Amino acid sequence: MPEPARDRWLSIGMSVLLHGSLIALLAFGWWHFRRPAPPQTQPIDATVVDARTLKGIGTASRQSLKPKPEPPTPPPVQEGPPPPTPEEVAMREQAAKEEAQHEAEAQQQLLARQQAKAQAQAQAEAEAKAQAQAQAQAQAQAAAKAKKLAQEKKLAETRKQAAAKKLAEEKLAQERKLAEQKRLAEQQAEQERQARIAELQQSLQEDQRAAVASGALASWTSEITSRIQNAWIKPPTAQPGIECVLNVSLVPGGSVTGVSIGQCNGDDAVRQSIQTAVYNASPLPAPPNGVPFPHQLIITFKPTH
Amino acid sequence: MKPIPRMASLLRISLAVLAAAWLVSPAARAQLQIQITSGVTNPVPIAIVPFAEGPTAGTDVADVVQHDLVGSGRFTALARDRMPATPTDAADVKFADWKAAGSDYVVVGRVTPVENAQLAVDFNLLNALTGQSIARQRFTGTASALRNAAHRVSDVIYQAITGIRGAFATRIAYVAVAGEGGEQRFQLVIADADGYNQHLILESRFPIMSPAWSPDGQWIAYVSFENHLSAIYVQRVLTGQRTRVSMRAGINGAPAWSPDGRRLAITLSGDSGHPQIYLLDLSTQHLTRITDAPAINTEATWSPDGQSIYFTSDRAGEPQIYKIATTPGGVPQRITFTDEYNAGPHLSPDGKLLAMTTRDDGGNYRIAVQNLTTGEFRVLTHGRLDESPSFAPNGATIMYAARPGQGEAGILATISVDGLTGLSLKPTQGEVRDPAWGPFIQ
Repeated sequence: MPEPARDRWLSIGMSVLLHGSLIALLAFGWWHFRRPAPPQTQPIDATVVDARTLKGIGTASRQSLKPKPEPPTPPPVQEGPPPPTPEEVAMREQAAKEEAQHEAEAQQQLLARQQAKAQAQAQAEAEAKAQAQAQAQAQAQAAAKAKKLAQEKKLAETRKQAAAKKLAEEKLAQERKLAEQKRLAEQQAEQERQARIAELQQSLQEDQRAAVASGALASWTSEITSRIQNAWIKPPTAQPGIECVLNVSLVPGGSVTGVSIGQCNGDDAVRQSIQTAVYNASPLPAPPNGVPFPHQLIITFKPTH
Repeated sequence: MKPIPRMASLLRISLAVLAAAWLVSPAARAQLQIQITSGVTNPVPIAIVPFAEGPTAGTDVADVVQHDLVGSGRFTALARDRMPATPTDAADVKFADWKAAGSDYVVVGRVTPVENAQLAVDFNLLNALTGQSIARQRFTGTASALRNAAHRVSDVIYQAITGIRGAFATRIAYVAVAGEGGEQRFQLVIADADGYNQHLILESRFPIMSPAWSPDGQWIAYVSFENHLSAIYVQRVLTGQRTRVSMRAGINGAPAWSPDGRRLAITLSGDSGHPQIYLLDLSTQHLTRITDAPAINTEATWSPDGQSIYFTSDRAGEPQIYKIATTPGGVPQRITFTDEYNAGPHLSPDGKLLAMTTRDDGGNYRIAVQNLTTGEFRVLTHGRLDESPSFAPNGATIMYAARPGQGEAGILATISVDGLTGLSLKPTQGEVRDPAWGPFIQ
């Protein structure tokens, strides 16, 4: 819909007014809220210094870093008025009047100036005070900061020292541990060596003992075997393939007290012959030293030819 | 100690340790195992206690039994004067005493008269070591059969202890020559296997040869030169009834009964002069020629299955043993190779051993046995002129004719097939030859 020209102008005017007021407000705001820039803290080089010297230097540097605020400039003072004339009188009067007025104005101005001065002074004082306060605060903050820093430094130092100490201790411990491990390893190796030697000796002894025992066993078994084989009158029917198991009961001394035939595929003649053989072999030879006589023997007759 | 030998010996050591542990562990001690793989072939020591005999006995049964058993080579008997006692009943046997005397077995028994004028022979075979009775039996018969009863006792004992059937209560046939020069008389004799109890079944002025038992023991075939001509006869043992089965031109010799008793293998030379082996069917008189080599082929012996015969042939120059099928057209196979002279074969009842007369390098004729399975050849006898081997029906013993010395009369002897035990039979007057061991008596 086409806008009427009158409305357009109104809109433009309103817009200009609005923008203008906004700019004015912004300008006023900027002027009103303009403040001196807050003291800027600069990063500190983390050079290690003595915390005690740090205070003075810190203050000086802080002061030098911040310029002193300028004292407020007083308003310019007016010089005395010129002498009056008749005309000037009238004029003077006028002038006096004017002067009175003027003076009043001046007085007022003075007053205003005094007031302004007082105000300025007060303001300056206040500002100075604020400045001092700020300075003190800054100082306090700086001190606190420095203290904190110092503390941190100290802490860091302590930590560092502790860490170093710890490291050293750890290193030492590690070395000790290594040494201990080495010692243990050596000890273990030595123990193992000793154990091996012992084992070897034992094995040697066992070897000898076993050899003796097995020799004795073999000898004993062979004695029994040969004794029974010599006693076994093998019947012609005891051919390869025949296998008979005898359970032989013995008493100490080796006498055969009983013979029972177990599994046996031989004929009656074979059965008779093997029973007879075992009885004829009685008493059986004694087992090796220290070995008690078995109560029973399993004897298998298994002719190979 | 170096590691490697130690490692190498580790197994051995551990085995030895195991063995030692096994040795000392109580469970093992109770289970100690021993294996016996061989024995000895010593004769079995036995004591045959004189039997209690009634007044009518007249035969020492125990002595007959002892003679049988010892003669077999498998037993040794305790002399009577060393016997600790003379029990005749098992209840009276103190086993420890007999064991102490070295006897594994004790035989006790008695001969008692029973009804019908017969005698009963009771015996008990005892194991002196176990105290058990192994065999006990009674045989009854007339007094004249007492020796036979004793042989039967021997058979039972022999089988109980050796596992082999006894062949004591069997008979033999042989030829005896009595007299000198023109007065020579040839006799065909039947006797017990121990040579006792002889019965003359034929006597002739002409030579008698090669007696052979029929498988059932009822008949004997033989060669007789009656009227100077050789002929083969078959004679019934019990009655003396005989039949001439072959009197062909030339040689009629070496009869051998087939296992079924229906045929005879005989040697005939015919007109050719080369003796050949024929099979003669006894019921049909049908002849089947088996050999045809232009050489001597004789002395047949049958295999147990009747499928083949072994015979002597000099086709290779010297006599050797050959085998040929009993069906016509068989190809002979030479069996013996060991010596230059092997003749007179006789097959064992099981067909596994071939006995023969072999001539050794010293010119001695001896009895040898060849194992037909392994080929093993063993000379069993040690005589100068041993011949005509004949197996006992149990195959354990071979009887043969021996001529101990130059000019000495021939005798009969036995040898165990292992060659360990030889025995001469009861001496006879004159010369004996051509023994033939009869079958088991049914």
